[in-house]
Amino acid sequence: MTVTSALPARPPEGTRPEPPGEPLLRAVDVVKHFNVGVGAVCRAVDGVSFEIRAGETVGLVGESGCGKSTLARVLTQLTPPTSGRVIFDGVELTGLRGESLRQQRKHLQMIFQDPFASLDPRMTIGDIIAEPLTNFKVMHGKAKDARVQELLRVVGLNPYFNNRYPHEFSGGQRQRIGIARALALNPKLIVCDEPVSALDVSIQAQIINLLEDLQAEFHLTYLFIAHDLSVVRHISQRVLVMYLGKIVEIAPSDDLYARQYHPYTKALLSAVPVPDPRVESQRRLVELSGEIPSPLHPPSGCRFHTRCPIAQVPGVCSEDEPALEEKAAGRFAACHLSERVGTDLG
Amino acid sequence: MTRSVSDPVLEVRGLSTSFFTDDGEVKAVRDVSFDLAAGETLGIVGESGCGKSVTALSILGLVARPGRVVAGEILFKGRDLLSIGREELRQIRGRDIAMIFQDPLSSLNPVHRIGAQIEEAMRAHDKIAPREVRPRGLDLLRQVHVPDSARRVRDYPHQFSGGMRQRVMIAMGLSNRPEILIADEPTTALDVTVQAQILQLLRDLNRDLGTSIILITHNLGVVAGLCKRVIVMYAGEIVEEGSTEQIFDSPQHPYTWSLLRSLPRVDADRHERLRSIEGLPPDLIAPPQGCKFNPRCPFRLERCFSEDPELEPVGDGHIAACWVTMKRAYAEMGAGSLVDTGPGAASGVRPPIAPVGPDLSEPEGQGLAPEAHDRD
Repeated sequence: MTVTSALPARPPEGTRPEPPGEPLLRAVDVVKHFNVGVGAVCRAVDGVSFEIRAGETVGLVGESGCGKSTLARVLTQLTPPTSGRVIFDGVELTGLRGESLRQQRKHLQMIFQDPFASLDPRMTIGDIIAEPLTNFKVMHGKAKDARVQELLRVVGLNPYFNNRYPHEFSGGQRQRIGIARALALNPKLIVCDEPVSALDVSIQAQIINLLEDLQAEFHLTYLFIAHDLSVVRHISQRVLVMYLGKIVEIAPSDDLYARQYHPYTKALLSAVPVPDPRVESQRRLVELSGEIPSPLHPPSGCRFHTRCPIAQVPGVCSEDEPALEEKAAGRFAACHLSERVGTDLG
Repeated sequence: MTRSVSDPVLEVRGLSTSFFTDDGEVKAVRDVSFDLAAGETLGIVGESGCGKSVTALSILGLVARPGRVVAGEILFKGRDLLSIGREELRQIRGRDIAMIFQDPLSSLNPVHRIGAQIEEAMRAHDKIAPREVRPRGLDLLRQVHVPDSARRVRDYPHQFSGGMRQRVMIAMGLSNRPEILIADEPTTALDVTVQAQILQLLRDLNRDLGTSIILITHNLGVVAGLCKRVIVMYAGEIVEEGSTEQIFDSPQHPYTWSLLRSLPRVDADRHERLRSIEGLPPDLIAPPQGCKFNPRCPFRLERCFSEDPELEPVGDGHIAACWVTMKRAYAEMGAGSLVDTGPGAASGVRPPIAPVGPDLSEPEGQGLAPEAHDRD
């Protein structure tokens, strides 16, 4: 297989240590609001900025309703943002329409959560995988057939299964088919939206390992979205934590477990079950009061203040919205009291 | 009563449940036996289709056609639930043994108020005096920490969040002070912070009320946090049972061992490659001969293809069904430093040349190209 995208050359040495790669994708103050009835606005994504560097895996975690899947759809331009910019490989996607946007999509693919709903049951898996090649007219006839067989082999499926239908495959195998389809056009970035959460435990590891192997082989960049912090931390170099439409913390995954700068991250980590009875018996759960507020009426100031165990209310937390700031090298958090997260919450 | 306090409250003996489909008999649960002591927390873990939920449904007589219990005894305080009448079973269900399910929304009636539904659960049995029903309903909602419960008893299910609905289900389950609560994937549909709260609630109920709990889940982390004893199921059978410490610290069945190593851990120091289990669980209509795990097992021996291992003691109160067991796999096959986890990788044993049944190749072959096995 030919790899179309060589890694971009690194910039000349500067005064600061350079990040491992150029940003491949940049989100600048991305906002996505949905109008839901009379004057009501759902603030699903409400001002999100971050970068993904070439060759990197960035994880995005958060609980249901935090806006992570909407953000994925905005980044891939499946839905246009209300405001803000998405810059992919030097091209501003948010300004593109029609054919020029379609051409960019070649480099930007998606893998979905539900391997049962995302494959057309009436198409053979050969046709499913070949569809992007047909749509973009990049290959025909024998070359296309050979490419499909090669893709099947790459994702660990028997190449002679191209005439079978999706129902003949298990969940894990269907996820491999979805991955093969995403790889067909040699994309640069793949957005994986909960790619393993519908799969059984023993199959999850197979798919995670496959994604890691493919990344090394084809120099892929991933945005990996999941609610399972163990999976996200395992596969990602950096983790973004989202709460109610905002990014509340960004951290290298190696450092995330040792120290958190946002109380929500701390609460999330404290709640993840660990398959070890000794660790479990020492669990200190950071309890959040109440429930996640509605994105139709997000709280004033810091959106987390209604549930935060250390918030000053009334005070700075219920009045001023904290900005996402660098709290330590490579550590970003949007919290007025980030210094207290490590101490007051144990 | 002649029964002693230390007797198990529930004894399952040789339970087998099958589904008779057009394609053949699906042996969903095969010869499953276990005890549940009073006040105990028992976890049943396994992947989808391993038989853990069907085991629970069989206990309560809730297996729907085309399925039925084909053999065994289910002794609740010495009475066999499989041989008593339907009405008698209906009285025990909900009163003495209660069950909560994964999806609380589909288990609640959308057109009735929450309070009425909890009260209905009590009125169906006569364990609670009629005039106590209403105050107890309110009290239960308080016990499961539904905030503002006096107002919320008048709400409908759609006005509750997923976590709150699961609390209502637990309140209903507890309403008749059952001795056993069977929780089938009670937190799978919930967010992780809510999951932690529900697990804490179950822990408290077990401690304060002495309710025995059977927790059915695929999540080994959840089991580690709640249960004292664990049963591991694979392809309809129990493959290992022991205390939580035994199962997590020194698993003896290769399936349990592999499952634990395939999990990413949030507290792991380094990002080691996950040791996946190759292949797929077997087809239960035509499972492989011998040990059901042989098509995926790195430590399999020749006899694993022909002889089905029985559960044997491997420690104090610890049993496993394996011809090898991990003790030997560590001593003789270098399990501690195993990198390739493919089938037969540690023992070097390949399947017999002539497959014993036409379907033997399926679970292992399943369209996986040879490279997929070699890659790990």
